[in-house]
Amino acid sequence: MLSRLNPLTTLAASGAAIALTMAASNWPVSVAVAAAVLAAGTGAGVMRRVLAASAVILLPLWFSLLVLHGLFFPEGRIVLAGWGPARITVEGLAFALEMGTRTTACVLVLLLFSFVVNVADLVAMMTTRRIPPQFGYVLASTLTLAPAITDQLSRIRQAQEARGLVLGGSLLQRVAAARLQMVPLVLALIQEAAERAHALDARGFSSPGPRSTYREVADSRGQRTFRRAVLGLAAAAVILRLCASWFGVPVLPSLSAGNA
Amino acid sequence: MSQQSLTLPAPGAAADKKRRLLELLGAASIAATFIFLVLAQPADITNGVGSASTLVALGGFLLGAILLILGVLPTLPTSTLVLIPVALVLNIALGQIMGTTGLPFYFDAIGTVLIAVLAGPAAGAATGALSSIVWSFFNPTVLPFAAGAALIGFLAGMAARYGLFRRFYLAPVAGFATGIIAGVVSAPIAAFVFGGTSGAGTGAIVSAFRAMGDTLLAAITKQALISDPMDKAIVFAIAALLVYALPRRATFRFPFVRRFNVLAGKDPAAAS
Repeated sequence: MLSRLNPLTTLAASGAAIALTMAASNWPVSVAVAAAVLAAGTGAGVMRRVLAASAVILLPLWFSLLVLHGLFFPEGRIVLAGWGPARITVEGLAFALEMGTRTTACVLVLLLFSFVVNVADLVAMMTTRRIPPQFGYVLASTLTLAPAITDQLSRIRQAQEARGLVLGGSLLQRVAAARLQMVPLVLALIQEAAERAHALDARGFSSPGPRSTYREVADSRGQRTFRRAVLGLAAAAVILRLCASWFGVPVLPSLSAGNA
Repeated sequence: MSQQSLTLPAPGAAADKKRRLLELLGAASIAATFIFLVLAQPADITNGVGSASTLVALGGFLLGAILLILGVLPTLPTSTLVLIPVALVLNIALGQIMGTTGLPFYFDAIGTVLIAVLAGPAAGAATGALSSIVWSFFNPTVLPFAAGAALIGFLAGMAARYGLFRRFYLAPVAGFATGIIAGVVSAPIAAFVFGGTSGAGTGAIVSAFRAMGDTLLAAITKQALISDPMDKAIVFAIAALLVYALPRRATFRFPFVRRFNVLAGKDPAAAS
């Protein structure tokens, strides 16, 4: 269902969710946002991929935060346990929890967006929105090139290993092996890029002027209204938070509770 | 949109001026955000999560990076533009190859530096910022560092322009200096947005400084000043080696290389 929405709608919703999470900076809000992402991801059938991708990013982050703030937090007052300079403090653990949940929520939001968005639709929408067409080219081209280049790299490695390249060994040997793989890869990539430039120029890619797209992306009045509403809500949350910390205006508790 | 003329409009001076303005605004946004963070010294994020400073850091740096991209991208020739996706994938792929060597660095800017040396500071800055944005499709935590990545590309291009890539031993020196600046600019992001670093090695260094009683921002800045210059010195050296390994007819195809004599030596076309 999510992937059938207009890409701008999912983009606006993701941006707004991140702005709200950051503005609230409050672990119950972060947990609620993360839970909402999990529910939406399960509905869209991409939950397993989102979780796998986020685990790779979030596990080292949580480990690092817990070790760093859990053991070394000089501002902490309530000490739970201590070994010399390392002290477990309540404040340190609370800070790690606050930061960890906030980052977790934002990472989950963005990964869900990148798994449900149709890149071709996103690029088509950008073309009609006066974003330079070069941006769409770079985005779409990178996402399609990445698997092709990984393939090319593994073919280069296999060919070199067949000729006796050893990947392990001392540091110098490993650096030499890395060089043997990188130079042919970079060379081939730059050559191919030059050919692609000729093809693009032949089709008038660099000429200025208005562009149109063959791809029709569905949009509706409901989605347009939704986009405006969530972006307005996010802007309000950010402004309220800035006012609260600079001019001492109290933040309404209902704001941080009602956005999940 | 009204139909005016069927011929393509001539690229006007007004459009150029607008792009220049976007570039300047982007650079100004990044600089202003950094100055705000240093001057306001958002007292200590550890006494409350310092959410306003986080919003300013995130918003200002991201806005700057996006304005830079919008200003620079349309001015790049197609031959440079097609290299950007290649550079982005190289940032990721070469980072992974270097990862297998087991060295404790990131090496995530090799493609960016390569483009900066071949196509100049503006292309380098746009590549750096784009790299963070596109990479965030796989790993969202790199997104806030877009301004730092743009700065690395810009400084690498400036180093190439002033001849620091003509001799192999000068490239790591330029990388070391770039690393100092990039580390100082990126540290507030690591502190305010993530409250730390995600690497095990870098985390250990931050812990050591925290154990000595430093504030979080100070500890992360000191850690950045230890890791980043070394990392960037190696990245610049690798980029220099790669550029030297390319055949001259490939490198001299780039106007920036010819105009500023980036790599010492003669144009093979002119020499023959």
